[in-house]
Amino acid sequence: MAVATATRRARIEEFDTTPESMMRRAIKAGLIGGGAAVYLCLVGIVPRFDEREVISGLLNLGRTILILTVLATGYLAARPAKVLPGQPEPPAPKAGVGLTAGLVSGAIAGFLTAVLLLLGDAIPMRNVFVAVTDRLLDILAFGQNVWLGALLQILFAAGLALVASGVHLLRPALRSAFLTGLVTVLMASLFSTIIDQILTGTGEYVRLQFLDDTGWLYDGDALTVFGTILLFVVAGALAYSRATRGSLIKRRMEAVPEAQRTTVKLIAFALIAAFLLVLPHIAGRFISDVLGTIGIYILLGLGLNIVVGFAGLLDLGYVAFFAIGAYATAMLTSPSAFTEGPLTFWAALPVVVVITTFCGILIGAPVLRLRGDYLAIVTLGFGEIVRVLVISEWLRPWTGGAQGILSIPDPNIGISLPLIGGPELDTPQELYYVILAFCVLAVFVSYRLQDSRLGRAWVALREDEQVAEAMGISIIKTKLMAFALGAAVGSFGGMFFAAKIGSVFPNSMVLLVSILVLALIVLGGMGSIPGVIVGAIVLVGLPEILREFVEYRLLVYGAVLVAIMILRPEGLFPSARRRRELHEEEIEEAQFEARHGETTGAPVVTAGGSEDVR
Amino acid sequence: MPGGLVATEATGRRIGIAARLPIRKIILWVLSILIIVGVILGSRATLQEGAYSAANWRDFVILGVAQGSLYALIAMGYTLVYGILFMINFAHGEVFMAGAFTSFFLARPLAESGFLNSNPVIAIGVLILFSILISVVTAVLLERIAYRPLRGAPRLVPLITAIGASLFLQNTFRGFFGARVRGYPIPEALRGRWDIFGLPILRTQFLAIVGAALLVVALYYLITRTRTGRSMRAVGEDKEIAALMGINVDRVIVTTFVIGGGLAGAAGVLWALVAQQVNFFMGFFPGIKAFTAAVLGGIGNVVGAAVGGLILGVLESVAPFLLLEGAGVPSVNQIKDAVAFTVLVLVLIFRPGGILGSAEEEKA
Repeated sequence: MAVATATRRARIEEFDTTPESMMRRAIKAGLIGGGAAVYLCLVGIVPRFDEREVISGLLNLGRTILILTVLATGYLAARPAKVLPGQPEPPAPKAGVGLTAGLVSGAIAGFLTAVLLLLGDAIPMRNVFVAVTDRLLDILAFGQNVWLGALLQILFAAGLALVASGVHLLRPALRSAFLTGLVTVLMASLFSTIIDQILTGTGEYVRLQFLDDTGWLYDGDALTVFGTILLFVVAGALAYSRATRGSLIKRRMEAVPEAQRTTVKLIAFALIAAFLLVLPHIAGRFISDVLGTIGIYILLGLGLNIVVGFAGLLDLGYVAFFAIGAYATAMLTSPSAFTEGPLTFWAALPVVVVITTFCGILIGAPVLRLRGDYLAIVTLGFGEIVRVLVISEWLRPWTGGAQGILSIPDPNIGISLPLIGGPELDTPQELYYVILAFCVLAVFVSYRLQDSRLGRAWVALREDEQVAEAMGISIIKTKLMAFALGAAVGSFGGMFFAAKIGSVFPNSMVLLVSILVLALIVLGGMGSIPGVIVGAIVLVGLPEILREFVEYRLLVYGAVLVAIMILRPEGLFPSARRRRELHEEEIEEAQFEARHGETTGAPVVTAGGSEDVR
Repeated sequence: MPGGLVATEATGRRIGIAARLPIRKIILWVLSILIIVGVILGSRATLQEGAYSAANWRDFVILGVAQGSLYALIAMGYTLVYGILFMINFAHGEVFMAGAFTSFFLARPLAESGFLNSNPVIAIGVLILFSILISVVTAVLLERIAYRPLRGAPRLVPLITAIGASLFLQNTFRGFFGARVRGYPIPEALRGRWDIFGLPILRTQFLAIVGAALLVVALYYLITRTRTGRSMRAVGEDKEIAALMGINVDRVIVTTFVIGGGLAGAAGVLWALVAQQVNFFMGFFPGIKAFTAAVLGGIGNVVGAAVGGLILGVLESVAPFLLLEGAGVPSVNQIKDAVAFTVLVLVLIFRPGGILGSAEEEKA
């Protein structure tokens, strides 16, 4: 097949170790890397992020991003040829070839950014590309004049890429130490706010001076030079010892007798639980607030995960249930809404769940017979209809129109504990516990559902509707259950959203919420419960903490969806079953190779599939 | 789907009354009766009230036709790609936006230098060509980077990718050109109205209708009469067999994206002239509406997409006033967007094959 041959031809190149093909790959990597760097400049990420320091007085985030792009370029350009399964390991390419490849790719990438610099200086690009500011040109030129800057740009990029390509020459343990150190420094700097806060919070608790005062590590938002070196060395050393002597935890765990492992796991769980319980106290108000938001999205994610992950029904209008949950809560509890005697939050809760579940069935019922992608579009339509209705003048007496509904009460339990006189549940910290409790509940329910009879019916349905029906599964009932349960879990997200913000506005009920929830499921891995949690932390938590990131969050969500689907469709934390499904073909192919590869002298090309996900 | 029906009937006795009174059918019936009653009552009330003159209605319809012919033009991209790859190219609206938004930066200097007013025909032609170029490049890159690696993947995978690509493109252009709305320059020759057979039509709208009609006819000719069109249809029929017949499948798929992107680019300039403004978000709703048009006419069908576009455009501009105003709904214009979505939902529920397709066609 023509399609297959083209991809295979591309694959063969990846396995070729001759200097010529290495050079071709280096040029390609340089063009892609340079293109990426120019894109990051034009789209405004580089100048915008440059307002934040990474290492105090030395390095800003904008330049860091350019540096990372070039490093990745050099690293990929000099990547040694892949080893084919069942083939003898090819002779290692000479060190010089890899280094030259890195150098060439870096020089090309640097040349492209240099061209951008010269162009930006020569013509008023700002009229079209709003991000090409003097600041950007200044960053690109290293504060020098343009021609010197352009030259520096090429040399700098070539040098960095050379270093990155040299990483391949290191022993694996050293390489992993180097990379770990780099990532640790970057993370520590990006999350300075939260790490600083937690260190200080813990310091106050345990009265340790060096924790309480983190001046040695952070200067404002940025790392100090001393902190950078310290982190890099410590993290690198740990990674090195881990790589040379194996993971300490793993070895200890293996030493523990089989019978006691459950105990160890329980202790680990207890530690996590304890950490989650004390977190808001050491983390402070702002981070508790962020954690609450993450929790709301975990609830939404778990709900959508039932529909998309378990049952395989792509629902793009999930925001509808979020909106219905939030608005129902608001209308039932807010004194400003139309109800005569507003209910308390907890009295409204069962009513809201019933309403949302009913809406789930109502929306689900007519679309049950639709095939996957049509279902997606119809649900998207439903989501938009809900939004348009909520914002319209028509329903204003009930929904408040564009102004929304205000003064939603806190989820006060109405009882007062004898000693502490609370809990009022009105601070982010207290609300965090309530949301946490519901998240734990939702996680528990999800796990139980996954392996229940219904959960297995969903899997069967996802795989093949007609076979499932022939096996006696009622399609209608099973699909409706997915919609109803998904809606019910999602309604909790809506309810806590209403209670947490204290008001609901139609502007919070946009398609973007559906897509964000979908993105976090996709990132973590569809059908994977830990994946939902990780996805929510990454996609919801990060933009809250990295304020510079906010403008570009949509860009990143889009990129995440595309990249994950192409590179790793099972997500970062896939459920075992999903991984098997998505790699079935490759596993089969590999098995086929293993059986027949040597006897028939199978051509090199057919084995290429085992490396990349298609 | 037929298999599904058989299975239900075979096990019907055991499932009992629930199967004999299928809940879905009941909901559908109730829904359709409600809609019909609502339509009749609403239109009667509006017409009795007489809030709008005949001239108002005529303008609504003309606006609808102009809007609809642009929907039709964009819908071609959805329908062609769906006909060949069986995927919803959710990012097609962004391909349209890319051309329109970028062409603004050529239109502005043209207007400032006075060329747009002195040579409107050449200027508009150049703008359309430029817009087509940008849209085609966007569409081809989209196919190359985002869709080609996923050919043959489970169906939802490319759809999710397409949604991601849509978001990515939108925000890329926002980053490139800024978030504010830009006023698109209109040549003096296109201001005001023309009398066409006694109908006064806004000149920009007339241009949109004529331009779209010409392009759709050209496309129809291309699909039905040329070698390229024949190989496109062959690939849509069966990729492997087409490849065996010596057709370069990859090239045909790229051609499809080029044609769809080109039409979207042309639609972009026409749209910008009618709406007189462009911004990074302008592709999203037209994209979904054009998809609705494609589904309405029967996706995969070029004539269907054209018909669907016109129907949707007219419905959208007439229905809110005709049906809802009389029912006492205030500010019906706000609900305009909901019309398209309601049409989409109803078509997919009642007749997923579209108007020109068979009722059961798209169930496989």
